Amino acid sequence: MSEIFDFNGAKGSGWSQPEPMKKDAINTVPSSLRRSTLPRWPRASEPELVRHYTWLSQRNFGIDTGFYPLGSCTMKHNPRINERIVQLPGIDRIHPLQPEHQIQGLLSIFYEMQEMLEICAGMDQVTLQPVAGAQGEFTAIRCIQEYHRQNGDIQRDKVIVPDSAHGTNPASAAMCGYEIVEIPSGDDGRLDLDALRAAVGEDTAAMMITNPSTLGIFEPDIAEAAEIVHTAGGQMYYDGANFNAILGKTDPGRMGFDAVHYNLHKTFSQPHGGGGPGSGPIGVKSHLADFLPSPIADREETEDGGATGDGYRYFWRTPPNSIGKVQQWHGNSGAVVRAWAYYRRYGRELELMSEHAVLNANYLRHQIMNPNQEHQKSIHSMPVDGAPTEVVKHEFTLSMMPLKETTGVTGKDIAKRLLDYGYMSPTLYFPMIVPECLMIEPTETESREVLDKFAEDFLTILSEDPEVIQTAPHTTDVRRVDEVLAARTLVLRKEFED
Amino acid sequence: MDQLPNLGREQEMLDSMGLKSIDDLFSDIPEDVRRMDPLPLRGPQSEEEIWADAQHLLGANIDLDSRPSFLSAGLARNFVPTMVPMLATRGEFLTSYTPYQPEVSQGMLQAMWEFQTMVSELVGLPVSNVSMYDASTAAAEAITTAVRVKGRKATQKGVVYVSQFVPPHRLSVIENYTQGVGIELRTLEHNSDGMVNLEAASVAAGACAVYVEQPNAFGELDEGITQMKEIIGENTALIIGVDAVSLGIVEAPGNYGADIVVGEGQPFGIGPTAGGPIYGLFACKKDYLRLMPGRIVGKTLDEDGNDAFTLTLSTREQHIRRHRATSNICSNETLIALMGAMHMALLGPEGLEKLALRVAATTEVTKQAISGIPGVELVDPNTPNFREFAVKLPGNAADAVAHMDAAGVLGGFPMGEWWDSMSSYLLIGCDERTTQSDIDALVSALTAWVEEVSA
Repeated sequence: MSEIFDFNGAKGSGWSQPEPMKKDAINTVPSSLRRSTLPRWPRASEPELVRHYTWLSQRNFGIDTGFYPLGSCTMKHNPRINERIVQLPGIDRIHPLQPEHQIQGLLSIFYEMQEMLEICAGMDQVTLQPVAGAQGEFTAIRCIQEYHRQNGDIQRDKVIVPDSAHGTNPASAAMCGYEIVEIPSGDDGRLDLDALRAAVGEDTAAMMITNPSTLGIFEPDIAEAAEIVHTAGGQMYYDGANFNAILGKTDPGRMGFDAVHYNLHKTFSQPHGGGGPGSGPIGVKSHLADFLPSPIADREETEDGGATGDGYRYFWRTPPNSIGKVQQWHGNSGAVVRAWAYYRRYGRELELMSEHAVLNANYLRHQIMNPNQEHQKSIHSMPVDGAPTEVVKHEFTLSMMPLKETTGVTGKDIAKRLLDYGYMSPTLYFPMIVPECLMIEPTETESREVLDKFAEDFLTILSEDPEVIQTAPHTTDVRRVDEVLAARTLVLRKEFED
Repeated sequence: MDQLPNLGREQEMLDSMGLKSIDDLFSDIPEDVRRMDPLPLRGPQSEEEIWADAQHLLGANIDLDSRPSFLSAGLARNFVPTMVPMLATRGEFLTSYTPYQPEVSQGMLQAMWEFQTMVSELVGLPVSNVSMYDASTAAAEAITTAVRVKGRKATQKGVVYVSQFVPPHRLSVIENYTQGVGIELRTLEHNSDGMVNLEAASVAAGACAVYVEQPNAFGELDEGITQMKEIIGENTALIIGVDAVSLGIVEAPGNYGADIVVGEGQPFGIGPTAGGPIYGLFACKKDYLRLMPGRIVGKTLDEDGNDAFTLTLSTREQHIRRHRATSNICSNETLIALMGAMHMALLGPEGLEKLALRVAATTEVTKQAISGIPGVELVDPNTPNFREFAVKLPGNAADAVAHMDAAGVLGGFPMGEWWDSMSSYLLIGCDERTTQSDIDALVSALTAWVEEVSA
């Protein structure tokens, strides 16, 4: 193994630069403020660094290397045209504070994306500023908070979340200062309306929920839940992480939601990049629109045809009671442009994307849960559904509890063994209400052959020697990593000897 | 549809499940919430058509490289080495998720551990995370972190002093992140020459934290900030916002007492890209480690005793701690931080120093040239600047920018957009790419406007 700090060659730089315009520029820094010693960065040439980062890339698993059934994360293929487009100087070399007339094309793309997202979610106004799903949640809850304050409803200090919610929901509401009320799911994994009725009151600010739920099942009582919360004077917030399941089939507006966030890095194929960037626009109903962050793209008709030739002049608008800003600029514009290109490929056929996502999830679930005779004979224990249901949406959960009871093999062991077969592991131990949970989301961009092979390999693992599974992975770049040691020793940077 | 490998094979897949139609898959959605009509959107396009439209629309934008540009105000018109986007967008990096499975994610984990080390070295503090969204959320979450750490010992409970010259678009983010959690923001005053008022700063002793930027919004370097830690004391956190490139020649804040350093990482790794994706730097002393936001990578061993990397201290994070988490951050800006790491590694220590000297040089040359225009005055003539400086104009700066724009020069940022009282102030931003002919064009365009308003 080599580290970048192993490169410590000749002084100078792995990158050529012109000389400073002026020789004594160091004199512009007062002597008491001058840097005493330079940072101990590597000294490497371009060829050395190209090889280093190519080597690192080869030790990293992405959608491009194999099937990535990571539940709740929607790891679909990232079309390459999107990457080519964001290299254009008309996005890469743009400053967000340039005069409006210089960025009419960017503004028109923002406007088109706002409108498209409004239509898809049944909302009245979208802002593209939040840069991640969690920041979208935070932004929407801030708008709801200001809405209640303006109505004099300052006693509303609680936000309700189901126990199956993504961790970001309660964390985002807490950052706005709310107390969290967690309500238990019913025995069938669905929302428990009686628990909700018992939880709402004059102190309810909002309820945050995702539908389909993190179990991958559609909440049939969602409209009634919305009515319960609204009757109590609260607002309904839709966590759009699972939007890939329902686009074009239903929308949060119809279900009774007041605000929603979208994950452009899930539903609209912005690449996840090893943990980001994301983009988390939010949409709201008209009563919340005045509170949205500033600015929003808007347009007016113009007689000169407009800079893009569509008859409009585009401009930035500040909502009258805006909460201000949640990111310093206008959001992750590059992610918005990628998502725009992705949307243009589908247009009004976006529904096809959801149909195939749901088709693939149900098909894979069926293939796993209905093993052939040979498998039936040899496997130790079948997993059980996290939630019993006829059809799932874009993902499903499996409890490996029976296997653990018969062999001691855990969900984590199965996850690690899947790595040996060339797959990314499903999401592990989430939602927490399903014991030994594996959460599987194949997405629409996997072929039937890949799904068949995965089901086959999954069932094969279930019949393997438990010892082999428990000591997995065997074939990866490193063996099972000691996370406890990492947390105990906390080696968080290179320590230099000099 | 090229993106859907099972198109045309739906029926055979449905048959194998004993289902009749795609509609059966959505039968669990109650009719009263079902959408029955198609989405009222435009038709699908081919890749060629999308590319043509992208070229047309983005081509309607005027990019910074197409004319002399002096607009900075917190984002840099930089030059990103060609290697950076080519390697960072390799599919193995680009299409991976947060590295929850370290055994198959050693590449990104190691790259982020190396990133942590380089950021740590840059700012002079021992701990760095894997990135925040941008400089503004980094500053905001530095403040909430400091309040968590210093809250108990602080004599001014929940109070944080924020420099008067933090630009409003950054301050607004800070306000949103702090308003609901019992934090009171108070103003840290500056003197009329732009420098922090060190006498007044003593009021901050006993508060939870002080947030101040070096250089400030006017691009001014402030020697007095090196005395801040002594003034506010051990029980008050000193948070410094930096221009990352400046640290090639300006002292690392960790060496003059900073507890947390934040800043915009963007000059390393990615173009201004219309404001995002960019990334925020966040580094701190060890006392803040367990209450800080964001992903952190640690070096450890695998089962066979080989070196390995993994995410660590995740018990701080939302997916474990839920509403008691130190932050809601989940997706961050890892890929852009990777680009930053590549850019930093290419520069090396001497390359960083040279880059900073190039920016310092163009700033100084531009400043001298502009101050020679009759009627144009430097706002603070005796203070040193890095990257930016402010001038007072004989009229409205927004008018000047519009006038220069018509002459093909992006002349800077009218500061009246930030502070009403500064409507005649123009903020001029320079960078390593500023040329003598850019400066000549700016001087000529600004002179023409001054002559027009003075006539």
